[in-house]
Amino acid sequence: MMSSKRSSKTKASAWLLVSTLMLSMLAGCGGNNAANTGNTTDTNTNTANSGTNTEKEDLTPVTFSFFSADPSPNWTGMQDETGKVITEKTGVTLDAEFAVGDPAQKVALIASSGEYPDLISAKADISKMVDAGAMVDLTELIDKYAPNIKKVLGEDNLKRARYSNEDKAIYAIPTYSAVDQQYFNAGGGFELQHRAVKEAGYPPIKTVKDYENVIKSYLDKHPTDENGNKNIGLTLNADDWMMYITVTNPAFTTTGSPDDGEYAIDVDTQEVTYHFRRPEEKEYFRWLNHMNDIGLLDPESFVQKTDQYKSKIATGRVIGLIDQDWSYGDGEKALKTAGKFDQGYGHYPVTLSEEYKETSFWPTGFMAGNGVGISTDCEDPIRAIKFLDYLASDEGQVLLNWGIEGKQYNVENGKRVIPEDVNNRIVNDATNFAKETGIGLYNLLSVHYGDGVKDSTDNYYTTKFPEQISSQFNAVEKETLAAYKVDTWRGLFPKEDEFKVKPWGAAWNIPVPGESEIVVLDNKLKDITWKRIPEAILSKPAEFDKIWDAYMADLEKADVEKAEDLREELVKERVKLWTE
Amino acid sequence: MKAATNLQDLPTKKSSSGRAWKTLKNQKYLWMMSIPFVIWVFVFSYLPLWGWTMAFQKYKPAKGFFEQDWVGFDHFKTLFADETFFLALRNTLVMSGMGLVAGFIFPITFAILLNEVRLGFFKRFAQTISYLPHFVSWVVAAGIVTKMLSGDNGLINDMLLGLGFIETPIQFMAQGHLFWGIVTLSDVWKETGWNAIIYLAAIAGIGPELYEAARVDGASRLRQVWHITLPGIRPTIIVLLIMSIGNLLNIGFEKQFLLGNNLVTDYSQVLDLYSLKYGLGMGRYSFGTAINIFNSVISVILLFTINGIFKRTTKESLL
Repeated sequence: MMSSKRSSKTKASAWLLVSTLMLSMLAGCGGNNAANTGNTTDTNTNTANSGTNTEKEDLTPVTFSFFSADPSPNWTGMQDETGKVITEKTGVTLDAEFAVGDPAQKVALIASSGEYPDLISAKADISKMVDAGAMVDLTELIDKYAPNIKKVLGEDNLKRARYSNEDKAIYAIPTYSAVDQQYFNAGGGFELQHRAVKEAGYPPIKTVKDYENVIKSYLDKHPTDENGNKNIGLTLNADDWMMYITVTNPAFTTTGSPDDGEYAIDVDTQEVTYHFRRPEEKEYFRWLNHMNDIGLLDPESFVQKTDQYKSKIATGRVIGLIDQDWSYGDGEKALKTAGKFDQGYGHYPVTLSEEYKETSFWPTGFMAGNGVGISTDCEDPIRAIKFLDYLASDEGQVLLNWGIEGKQYNVENGKRVIPEDVNNRIVNDATNFAKETGIGLYNLLSVHYGDGVKDSTDNYYTTKFPEQISSQFNAVEKETLAAYKVDTWRGLFPKEDEFKVKPWGAAWNIPVPGESEIVVLDNKLKDITWKRIPEAILSKPAEFDKIWDAYMADLEKADVEKAEDLREELVKERVKLWTE
Repeated sequence: MKAATNLQDLPTKKSSSGRAWKTLKNQKYLWMMSIPFVIWVFVFSYLPLWGWTMAFQKYKPAKGFFEQDWVGFDHFKTLFADETFFLALRNTLVMSGMGLVAGFIFPITFAILLNEVRLGFFKRFAQTISYLPHFVSWVVAAGIVTKMLSGDNGLINDMLLGLGFIETPIQFMAQGHLFWGIVTLSDVWKETGWNAIIYLAAIAGIGPELYEAARVDGASRLRQVWHITLPGIRPTIIVLLIMSIGNLLNIGFEKQFLLGNNLVTDYSQVLDLYSLKYGLGMGRYSFGTAINIFNSVISVILLFTINGIFKRTTKESLL
């Protein structure tokens, strides 16, 4: 049609069409370029400024991009009250991105893209960034520009932040562990609803049998809730990595071995065993198998997703859990909001039998490792380290933990006090409170003191100290705690000094070099374990031994011994790095 | 598709270069309009092929192209020595195959049935309802499916219990041998209406005089479907079939990832999930690339084979 009839009108419109198409394509590419150049000039001017302005603290606004391997659902882009103060004091705004789903994949993508965020908190996956040469050695920067970081960590802990024996650079300041942390409350162990222990007459809950009896006797009397829906004895969450938390980790905490990821390590000889190969753990899983057999284990345990698990807890029908409070907390919060306090949970140090000690609080010493580092793409590492240093200062730490004086806390007679109405919001309206005030959102950005450490004004740095924790328990919780004659759940668990400090921290915290065979071996073992453990638990008791033997055989076929040996090398390296 | 190939065929057939030049000149606007898309295809489909070189290296992100270690076919050897890979391959092929069969039978039947409906209002209503699930993301759809099949107050179990067919709830999601079926059925539920649209359009293109002639000859409605509707949409069916067979290995992983759990991994692990977990997830860039090369090579082979077969037997083909 176009070729046959060449009126100037069609021609013009055709040209128009073609040129619009071309233009729109160019615009597509151009948009990106413009944005990029905008960025670079921005940071360039900043470097120029900081160069000329070394005397006084440089507060010209600067934006650092930041990636964190942990999600932060309440992040508001530093538009909360704490965030605004941080920006005011340092000039820094963070353009943050938080990993969704498996951070390992995201970090791998960042490492291969060649475009790194200025600040990176990649946890154990930092090795991928280091292998890519993307991280800046912070040793000198900390020495010159970060007096507060140095003060908080001290010589010994700073030494622990070094990467490896071959590469003694500091690539991340250890922001995940708190210095001199004392634990005043427990959030793990085994959980039971307050109404169930009350009805059982608050018996001692030490072994899995005690735990089972409480659930069983409660379910015998109350098989259904008031609407006729079945009450559930014990439910587990096996959705992805939650498998570790509620299914596999309790196998070692109940049998006297500390948390070293998927391995059990002898504290004296540092001999490494894949922890499922310990005979004690077989008995733990046999108990779960028994729970399933007598109908106390929720048959959906290995099928449900995390949201289903939480909503099940929120119905109040689940009597027992084996989980951590940060994991099932959302479900319990719903119960508390509905005023069903007796369907909330207490934490009990359950073990397989009396001879074991519950190991949740086995001391690891200061665990350097996970934390924030600066990438080679950062235009102004000095500003960045100064920013992190501000957060580590006394002023910064109080701000991050307590908020703003006069708003989230008051000083009365030299004591920091949280007013009643604020405390109420912390307990009952936690999400909105965090979003508005930003309290709790910035703690993992820099080094900090742990609970129980006091500053120069004789106040605690954090808001978790005995009096404060007690004031946040509700009446039912206080009733249960009083019945067991303790102030917090921590009181039920073995003391830290009953254990020997592990000189390697924790094995899960040792970065694995990207090229190591361990990565693949571990994943193979994990695939086998995650398949076999549910199978063994759900099998008929008579078949349990057969499946367990097959599982052990599978592990050996997948070179479990090699994985153990390689891991042992890493642990020994770590001990050497930390104790020399 | 057909029209475009015809236009390009014209100049070559006439073989005289002057003539070709003239056609080119005549069609210059068409050519110009297609240039952006040619560039687009080149940039997004051909340039990335350069990355395939990674599969033959021990790729490390920090190094330049010439500094990488070359390892030849090492990654492929590892791949073919891994049992999990073959498991994933089997699951991919089976679920793909089931999806392919169901994905043709259901939409075609549905389109034909819908076409036979005389009531205009009901027809539009049914069509809208049926393609709505297509717009629901798999995350939500998987949530709905698991909730329906749940043993704890799930609809299906409640129904079966109420009717007395079973005494205790069935844990549908916990049984490996049901997994393939569940995935296929959820796919049917989600996509039947949407996939039927193209067949409805094809049916609408069949001339009414054929049906009138058939009726005069005394053909029943079933006969009309068999002798007119089905042959009428045959070219559409074949083109779509060839294209889906080319994508047999690329079934994505959302369904399997979202519906699967540890009890059914032997049935839910698919190639895309495998390459994500054992490739990128562990920083093994080269290994991941090797898996994708394998994928692409198989897909191309499948595409050409099936296209060749159809070309011979039915004279309909894509290429």
